[in-house]
Amino acid sequence: MKRIMAIALAIIVACFSSVAVFAAGINSSEASVLSNMRTPANMKGNSVYVPSSYINQAESYFNTIEMTSAQSSKINSIINQGRSFLQNTGKSSISELSDAERKTLLNYASAAAAVLNLSAAAGSDGKNIKIVSKTGGTVINNSSNVIKPTGAEEHFTVYVMILAIAAVFFVCSAGIILTRKKSYSYEEKE
Amino acid sequence: MKKKNKIHKNVKKFLIVPVIMSAAICLISAAIAFPLLSDAAALSNLLLSDKQVDYSKSFENIFVPTTNDEDTVDASDVEFPSVDKQFGELKIKNRNVNTKLFFGDGSIPLQNGVGVYAGSFIPGYGKTILVAGHNNTFFNGLKNVKNGDIISIATSYGNYKYKIRDTKILNADSKKAYDLNKKEENLILYTCYPFDTLGLTEKRFFVYADKISGPKIVGLYE
Repeated sequence: MKRIMAIALAIIVACFSSVAVFAAGINSSEASVLSNMRTPANMKGNSVYVPSSYINQAESYFNTIEMTSAQSSKINSIINQGRSFLQNTGKSSISELSDAERKTLLNYASAAAAVLNLSAAAGSDGKNIKIVSKTGGTVINNSSNVIKPTGAEEHFTVYVMILAIAAVFFVCSAGIILTRKKSYSYEEKE
Repeated sequence: MKKKNKIHKNVKKFLIVPVIMSAAICLISAAIAFPLLSDAAALSNLLLSDKQVDYSKSFENIFVPTTNDEDTVDASDVEFPSVDKQFGELKIKNRNVNTKLFFGDGSIPLQNGVGVYAGSFIPGYGKTILVAGHNNTFFNGLKNVKNGDIISIATSYGNYKYKIRDTKILNADSKKAYDLNKKEENLILYTCYPFDTLGLTEKRFFVYADKISGPKIVGLYE
């Protein structure tokens, strides 16, 4: 019994004391997905590419995971279906797609993301597609503008505005009180 | 009738005029105070830079300083950061830029430091590194930079230096501002321009720098 306990303890210790191994680099499965993403869709003679910012975000994410060949096969199959769908719409660019067609395209993105336990959602404008982890809500991919608003930090601006509004409100209140007092004194005199 | 006129006059005297005056005073004092507040914030950053960095619990930090000065680092030794994680520090000596470096450029990174756009890459990757920061806090010091200045980036897997080649003021939607497909390592920092403007602006101040030292990540692709 003691020996069994010792072996079990040794296994537990070995599991918890193992050296952290990072999911580093791009394995062949991940490379095949990236390569497929780079393949353009032929829309009425126009080659339509996935924006490089999307592919780069995918590559950065793939550096943090280990994709299996089964997962990459599923994802590549969905990408191929999405590409065929685009080619069969009869449109010459993404901007010409109808809302229903955009939704179908988003469904392909969602299906591909789901293979990696991620979820995809479009913004209220139907354009800003965000891929997040289902568990922690961590953003994996965001199709919003590359260059972000970096003006005075929002909190700081809000504080200044609240202060200004409070100052105006204070002066207004003081004005109203004074006006009322004056009008009462006029009434009393008369 | 007289009473009504007097009340009307009083409303003008004690309500409308004070409101207009106070609004004007608020606007003027905001315009005057904002550059001073920015400088005070920048100065406080400078003063705090010598102290031990206080890592907030609102984000995950994977940065551990290293003295690695090898020419290369294997990908298996690199912990690739996910979005919203701090993975390094960025400094420009004598230019009042000394901040935490995050992966991703959403609200968590920009409230706590500066952030690498997730559609670009980390130092050592051999591609474009696009870094955003607020103009009234961590990147306010970019207004002081000059060509030839050195940008230092410390990560857990190596220390990098980049030499500033150029600065430009461009529209935020300008496609000429960056190239995410570039096959050689280049660092781009940007912030809103003008530096001391309250709120959002259309222009951005871009700083372009080339890598001069730091380990290249090898073994990235199987």
